[in-house]
Amino acid sequence: MKKGLVFDIQKYCTHDGPGIRTTVFLKGCNLNCAWCHNPESIKKIIEIYFTPEKCINCGNCVAVCENGAHLIKKGKHFYSRKKCTLCLKCAGVCDSKAVECVGKEMTSNEVIKKVKEDFEFYEASGGGLTLSGGEPFSQFEFTLELLKKAHAERINTCVETNGAVEKSRLAAVLPYVDLFLYDIKDTGTKRHKYFTGAACDRILENLKFVDSKGKQTILRCLMIKGVNLTAKHLANIANIYMHLKHCKGVELLPYHPYGTSKAEKLGASRKKNTRWIPSETKLQRAKQLLLKKKVEMIE
Amino acid sequence: MEKVRRLSDFTHKLNKTALSGKRGKGLTDLEITLDGNCPQNISEELEYAYCIKLIAENAPIRILPGEKIIGSATLKQSAYHKIPVMKDGKIRFPSVSHLTLGFDFALKMGYNGLLKDIEERKLKNDLDEKGSNLLNAMKMCIEAANTWHQRHVEALQELIKNSRAVEKCNYEAVLKNIEHIPEKPPSSFYEAAQSLYFMFSFQRLCGNWSGIGRIDEMLGGFLKKDLKEGKVSLSEAREILAHFWIKGCDWLGFEGSQGGSGDAMFYQNIILGGINAEGKDITNEVTYLILDVVEELKINEFPIAVRLSSKSPEKLIRRVAEVQSLGGGILAVYNEETVIKALVKFGYPLKIARSFANDGCWEILIPGKTAFIYFPIDVFLILQKTLGVAEKTTAKKYGSFEKLYGAYKKNLSIAIDSFNRIADKDFASGKPATLISLLIKDCIRKGRGYNERGARYTVFSPHAGGLQDAGNSLHVIKSLVYDKKTVKLSGLVRALKNNWEGEEQLRQHILNSMELYGNDSKPADTMVKRVLDDFLQLTGKVKERKGVLRPPGISTFGREIEWREKRKASAHGYRQETPLAINFSPTPGSDKNSITAVIKSYCFMDLKRLPNGTALDLKLHPTSVKGKNGVAALEGVLKAFVKLKGFFMHINVIDNKTLLDAQKHPEKYRGLSVRISGWSARFVTLNKEWQQMIINRTLHK
Repeated sequence: MKKGLVFDIQKYCTHDGPGIRTTVFLKGCNLNCAWCHNPESIKKIIEIYFTPEKCINCGNCVAVCENGAHLIKKGKHFYSRKKCTLCLKCAGVCDSKAVECVGKEMTSNEVIKKVKEDFEFYEASGGGLTLSGGEPFSQFEFTLELLKKAHAERINTCVETNGAVEKSRLAAVLPYVDLFLYDIKDTGTKRHKYFTGAACDRILENLKFVDSKGKQTILRCLMIKGVNLTAKHLANIANIYMHLKHCKGVELLPYHPYGTSKAEKLGASRKKNTRWIPSETKLQRAKQLLLKKKVEMIE
Repeated sequence: MEKVRRLSDFTHKLNKTALSGKRGKGLTDLEITLDGNCPQNISEELEYAYCIKLIAENAPIRILPGEKIIGSATLKQSAYHKIPVMKDGKIRFPSVSHLTLGFDFALKMGYNGLLKDIEERKLKNDLDEKGSNLLNAMKMCIEAANTWHQRHVEALQELIKNSRAVEKCNYEAVLKNIEHIPEKPPSSFYEAAQSLYFMFSFQRLCGNWSGIGRIDEMLGGFLKKDLKEGKVSLSEAREILAHFWIKGCDWLGFEGSQGGSGDAMFYQNIILGGINAEGKDITNEVTYLILDVVEELKINEFPIAVRLSSKSPEKLIRRVAEVQSLGGGILAVYNEETVIKALVKFGYPLKIARSFANDGCWEILIPGKTAFIYFPIDVFLILQKTLGVAEKTTAKKYGSFEKLYGAYKKNLSIAIDSFNRIADKDFASGKPATLISLLIKDCIRKGRGYNERGARYTVFSPHAGGLQDAGNSLHVIKSLVYDKKTVKLSGLVRALKNNWEGEEQLRQHILNSMELYGNDSKPADTMVKRVLDDFLQLTGKVKERKGVLRPPGISTFGREIEWREKRKASAHGYRQETPLAINFSPTPGSDKNSITAVIKSYCFMDLKRLPNGTALDLKLHPTSVKGKNGVAALEGVLKAFVKLKGFFMHINVIDNKTLLDAQKHPEKYRGLSVRISGWSARFVTLNKEWQQMIINRTLHK
């Protein structure tokens, strides 16, 4: 059985598709967006979260580390990512979770078993499983297996994707997906490339393909002030929506800088761009603009 | 969600004044005394009736311009839950709460009907002295209620003489409406609502705090008939109910001494929906109009519990979810399928079981037929004593987990035996509660009062508290001491006695690596279930003795705060100062997964064996109920709760930021209401520890 790298399983998600859902976050992403909300999702390896505030100075990590990456001096805990080889032994002995693993290897059966725990809630609300990430397609085979197994268990499925994936892979999962939560990060070609590292043409093409196969979609649009919160981008979104036959609506998600604190725990540098946060009025205006163009809005 | 406005501007104005707390501040501190106002050497029962008579004659009458429902309980002492009559400088009789009176049958008969019953019973000529005193005293209580009614008539006549056209018109309508009720049975929806309020409010004026019970069942038929005959429109009926609800805020703003539980809404519980004795769903227009009213006016004064089942109308579940999503804790839910099963299993006839309501909180009883009290047993303390952690106990050795468990069970058995001996004795105060007895079935027939086993069902419930904490602790001990041998029992007990001092690493290990009750994790849930099953097995040995039923329940109702002192620190990683779990909810902070996991853990228990009930108390962040899907998800939670065989659940929709700000600036949050469990309270009226208890509850997203 295939193993996948999962970094979180969240139950009772009420905004990741219809009804009550369990969202499984898979590690690994093919893009590198400047605004990433889940920086812990980017690398397809198990990483270390370091939260020195939680340390109780027990010294367990220092004792097991063969590379001297942990040091406790005068009640202060220092951790060197340079020396760290990610052997993960320290996380195994840390009782206070000052050092913990991000990401866990799981078999598809293990994941499905966890997801099935809330089956009654899916039935009662029209919910199910949502695969998110990272980018679920960066673990394509695992994703496919999870979706197949979920459907075999009569569990409704959503996949959140950035769309920058091979068409053949999209085609392969289609029979097992009930709804795509499809990211439209930007429609300015240059900007998209600059901020995410990939072009948006293929993304939009794939969206058309998914739609042509009769698959339902919800367009998830991150709103970043000073980047894509422009009349032109909004008009483009409306235009994309209009040309889709099976799109259920557009969801506007305001940029928030929560990702930066997580990046800090990972030792990754990511600038906290508070100026990117759109104001409530700007968001409302954007929503009104789309409503005027007869776009169905998802709250 | 868009604000709906269906009620009139005037009603909103009336509501605003009521919610401002002005009414509650205007209660009268009246000194009423029996000395010199009551014949000497009469029976206790008659003395009680004199108290009621004096209250009816002396309490100020308050009728406000424009209000459609009248009958204010205007005495300050009543809002302190006291029968406001003294003798020799002391309150003469104790008051009664934790019950729901038989407003259903009283409404149908009117006071005159009750009087007739009393007369007929007397004619049988087989009452002993106590019995005949009781019935004579009951008659006097009815006369007193009539006096109070008559004083309203006179006050209205006076007001009509002295008021302007607009107000006069309403006074005349109100006067006309009270012409025949509550003496005679009502003939219209408006009369029925008023009659019910009169009966309810007179009890409250006399210091007794009863729940109202199944108001939609009581009033639904009247409304249906009036609607059909065109006597009233839906929007007029909604206004009447709105005024009923506003009237219920009469004591709001009264700064009483409710201690920890704040203003506690005076136990005026309401039940909506569910099936009737014949098994037919009674949900009707009254049910929906009441939901409209509380949604629009945000009145929490009547904490409402809705009876849901797998056959509940879709519309009802949707409306419940919509109102719940607004916060304020107005609505809680019962899964009536489990409740009825539990009652029948315990021995109640099916038809009777179907009529269940609560006691003004969430404990289950049969309204109008039950005298109720309960007895708290701190099960977790029993475990702590068994371990030798609790105060004045010394560490004990147990060679195996089963030996430890056996010792615990033996100690629990001793505690339950001792409860049973207490329950054999006098019920509650044993004192007259004649006004109460009047609205409790079988008191007239037996010629015995509420506190003298006169009720059809006299119930003294053993309530286990801290059961899940005992289960959590045992789960940790079994795993770490006996299975993995990470730590010795003596070492663990020492750590607990020292409040975890110097053992932070072990404590962190437990907190971070052990999944406790509330996470849909079978090892912990199975242990809690074992603790529950044994409690049920032991209490099940005496279901009834000496005329007293003993249906078990699980509760703490906030006692976990005062219980801390004796309990000491817990093996599942909590220091002594941290209050442990409330009712049957997870230990605060230990439910790390989701609201769904908590519900699954709770429903894993055999709840149909808890005829007196138990509660799951949850807190949900407002963002998770936002929008259409948020409400749909909440609807799903309610449906799944029924399917998974839950019992009682309430959900506070609120974020901690608001609560913390309310602690800092209470003046900004006077109206902020939270549900504590079976009751609600204004957050700022709670003392600091109780506020903290609400804040500490795990906030699910």
